[in-house]
Formats: sequence, C-alpha cells, structure tokens
Amino acid sequence: MCMKYEKGSRYALEDVSFTIDRGEFAFFVGSSGAGKSTLMKLIIRELRPTDGSLKIFGRDVTRLPRRRLPYLRRNIGMVFQDFRLMEDRSAFDNVAFAMMVTGSSRKEIRKRVPHVLGLVGLQDKFNVRVCDLSGGEQQRVGLARAIANSPAMIIADEPTGNLDPGTTLDIMNLLRSINLRGTTVLIATHNREIVDRFKKRVIYLENGRLVGDEQKGIYTHVH
Amino acid sequence: MFISGFFYIIGETVKGLYRNRWMCITSTGVVIVTLLMLGIFMLVNLNISHITDTVKDQVEIVVYIDEFANQQTRDELGRKLSTHQGVEEARYVSSEEHMRRLQRQLGGMLEGYDTNLENPLLASYEVRTVVPEAVMALAEEFETYPGVSAVFYGQGYVENLFAVTGVVQMVGLALMAGLSVTAIFLISHTIKLTVMMRKREISIMKYVGATNWFIRWPFVLEGLLMGFAGAVVPLAGLYYLYQYSVEWVVVNNLVFLNLLPPQTVIIELATYLVPLGTGLGILGSTFSMGRFLKV
Repeated sequence: MCMKYEKGSRYALEDVSFTIDRGEFAFFVGSSGAGKSTLMKLIIRELRPTDGSLKIFGRDVTRLPRRRLPYLRRNIGMVFQDFRLMEDRSAFDNVAFAMMVTGSSRKEIRKRVPHVLGLVGLQDKFNVRVCDLSGGEQQRVGLARAIANSPAMIIADEPTGNLDPGTTLDIMNLLRSINLRGTTVLIATHNREIVDRFKKRVIYLENGRLVGDEQKGIYTHVH
Repeated sequence: MFISGFFYIIGETVKGLYRNRWMCITSTGVVIVTLLMLGIFMLVNLNISHITDTVKDQVEIVVYIDEFANQQTRDELGRKLSTHQGVEEARYVSSEEHMRRLQRQLGGMLEGYDTNLENPLLASYEVRTVVPEAVMALAEEFETYPGVSAVFYGQGYVENLFAVTGVVQMVGLALMAGLSVTAIFLISHTIKLTVMMRKREISIMKYVGATNWFIRWPFVLEGLLMGFAGAVVPLAGLYYLYQYSVEWVVVNNLVFLNLLPPQTVIIELATYLVPLGTGLGILGSTFSMGRFLKV
C-alpha cells in the first residue's frame, strides 16, 4: 500500500507490503519520519491509504464504513507514547471506561478491572488519579486499558519513548507476557536496546519504504 | 448494555459538569447574560406592543346621521353598519346622548341652555372595526351610504399613530432578530470552547472504540442542562424585576402606562427563552463536537 498526506507531497509510505500472523510479536523500526506512526494510524484506520489495501483479521479496513470503526478498534488495544489517559480520573476509571464503551456490565467491569490492573502491577493504585502516578505507572494503566477487552491485537506507538531504561524494560516485559497469552503485539520504536534484547521479528522502514524484514532480528543487523 | 449505558451517560453528565465546573459556569453565565439582555428587550417590546394595541383599540369611526333622514333610512344604515364584515360593533348614540356627553365635558358652561328645545347635535353610530388599521378605508366606504351626514375617525391623528406603531414594531422585530442571532453566536461559541477543552478526552474515547453517540450523549445532556439553566435563571430574575416595575408604576400613579400583568409576560418570555436556551445548548454541543469525532 501507499500513503500520501497531501497531493503532490512525498509518500509517507510507498509500496509497503507485509503480513503479520496471529499471535506474532513484531517491531517496526526506523528513524523519525520513516513512516512507523503513519503505519500505526493506518492500522487503526485513523488514516486511509492513498492506494492499496490493508486487511486486518481478514477484512479490508480501507473499505470499512466510518460507523463500523468503533467495532474494529475494540479488537485492537492501543498504547501511546504520551499514554493518552484521562488524567483527572483514577486508574480504575480509565480502564473501566474502555470496557464501558464496549457494553460490558457493571458486574463484569468490577471483576475485570482489578484483574488487569493487577496484571500490570497496579493492584494497590486502583483509586489513585492518573495525574498522581509516575510515567511508568501511567503507561501500565495504558497497557491495562489496552488489554481490558481482551483484544486480538495490541499496537504500541513508541510505548517507552517517555520512560527511563528500567521502566522501559518492565513495560516491554509486560507486552511480551501479553503476547505469550496469544495476543498479536506490534510495536513501533526506535529503541535499539529493546529491539536487540528481545530478538523478535523486526520490520525496518526508511523514508516510507520497507527496507528489511527479519525474524529474530536485531536492529543493527537489519539496518 | 442499555441499562449500564444509560447510567453511564447520566453519571458522566453529572461528573462532566462537576469536573469542568468553571468552564460550565462560564458558559452558563454567558447564556444567562445573553438571554437576560434578550429578555429585557422582549419585555420592553411586548409592553410597547401592548400599549399601542390598547391605543389602536380605542380608535373608532363616528358616522353622523343626516338630520333629514327618515326612520327607515336610519334603520337601514344601522343594519348595514352592524352586519358589515369589517365591523366589530356599531353602537347607536342619540342626539340627546351627545348633548349629555357635551354637558359632562364642558361642566357648567352650558348652564341656562335649554337642551330639550334646541339640540343641534346629530345622532350617530360609533363603529369599532375588527382591524384598527382598516378605519381609513371603512370611513371612506361609510361616507357613501345613504343617510350619512359625515364620518370622523380622527383623521391625521390615526394615520400618524399607525405610522409610528408600524415603525416601532419593525424596529422591535429587527432588534429582537439581531439579539437572537447574537445570542446564538455567543452561546454556540462558548459551548464550542467547552468542547474544545475536552477534545483530548473525546479522542481517547474514539481510540478505545466508543461510538459517536456514546460520546455525544453526555455532552448533549450537559449542553441541555447549561442551556436550560441559562434560560431559567434570567427568567426568574426578569419576573421579580418586572413585578417590581409594575408595582412602581401603580404606586407612582402612572396609569397611562398600561403594562401587561407579570404572569402573562413571564409565560410569553418562557415560551421563547426556554426552548431557545435548551435548543442552543443541545445544538451547540452536538455541532461543536463534529470535528473532534472524525478521528
């Protein structure tokens, strides 16, 4: 597929083609402006490709009507570099919200939210407002929210971009454990250390083109 | 889903109002001030219309009967006038009644004048028209009827009155339309600002898979409540202000200012301001959100 933000401008993504299997763990790497974030936005249909198609769960999302978008997004948990949490609400409320919009009952929410907050190590911070949590804790809330509805896929755009090395490793380990439960995990990052350490599939983008794709790759090798 | 979603929306509305209380208070304040201005102007306009209508209602045509007309002609004239489509009431006034009125008006100045022997006043029909503005045309028509000596309706004065009230009404309508447009502009922009401050929250809702209406409802309800409060508060203020004004007019004996009763005025204002306030609140929040929902 191809993607241009404006007519006449250069391609943000050009002739990019790949397949990700169910349950896979993959890194999208590349320098700033390589097209990683554009790719993430295409997956959640925040953007539409200028040309080509993008199939998710076997369905071409480029043809998905706008009103069906919420149902696609309920199957994709999203994790952002800037966390994108409702800062004036508690950790519990942020996770509960994601379940509420999918129509979960109050009973289900009361049961599930403490469970997922426990999985990310926030069992004693349910009622703390997000703005009173550290960066690492906020990203854990983001992860808990992403997995609350047991999505088939998690996509994370620079999930550790704002975190110190120790917290980065914690978050990455959490993502790996989520993947081990069968969830597909796609991570856009330019954190060399993490990519090299995890030895998972690495898809390398440069100036909007896919220039490398390696199983158990290392950032440096692919580069 | 329905029940939990319903409680969620109500809960979110209340929480949203509390969390963004300063912005909501500011928005509601703008609605209150704008609708208060509009309300004051409407009050003045309603009363001006009422006073001019009262004056118009007093306009009547006096059809003087020819002194030489026989009884049959007089009866026929009375029948034609009272059955005329444009006439609300045609009342016969005898020459004796005219004399009694004149005596009352002039007091003792007619003392010693034998009214029974020498009464030069003509009998007449006093005609009230269905539409006050029709007096000129009807007077011209009545002049052609047999048995009519002369027709008066306050020529000159009536034309001026209608011209002035026409201008007052036109200016009033134009100002009210202008103020309504200003109110719509101010209120919708203030609500837009409230929504813009929460665009981050809206985009998060979109990312976690909330449908547009799921996101919209709490905002729509908030807009409704802000608009409703913004209409009811100035209404209550205007009621007390107006009641005080009416009492002041009575106490100071300014009876020529024939003001409308407070209850009537408030009902009239409420039927305009409450739907305007709540409608603007709902539309303001619904349309302001459109841009942020396209994520």
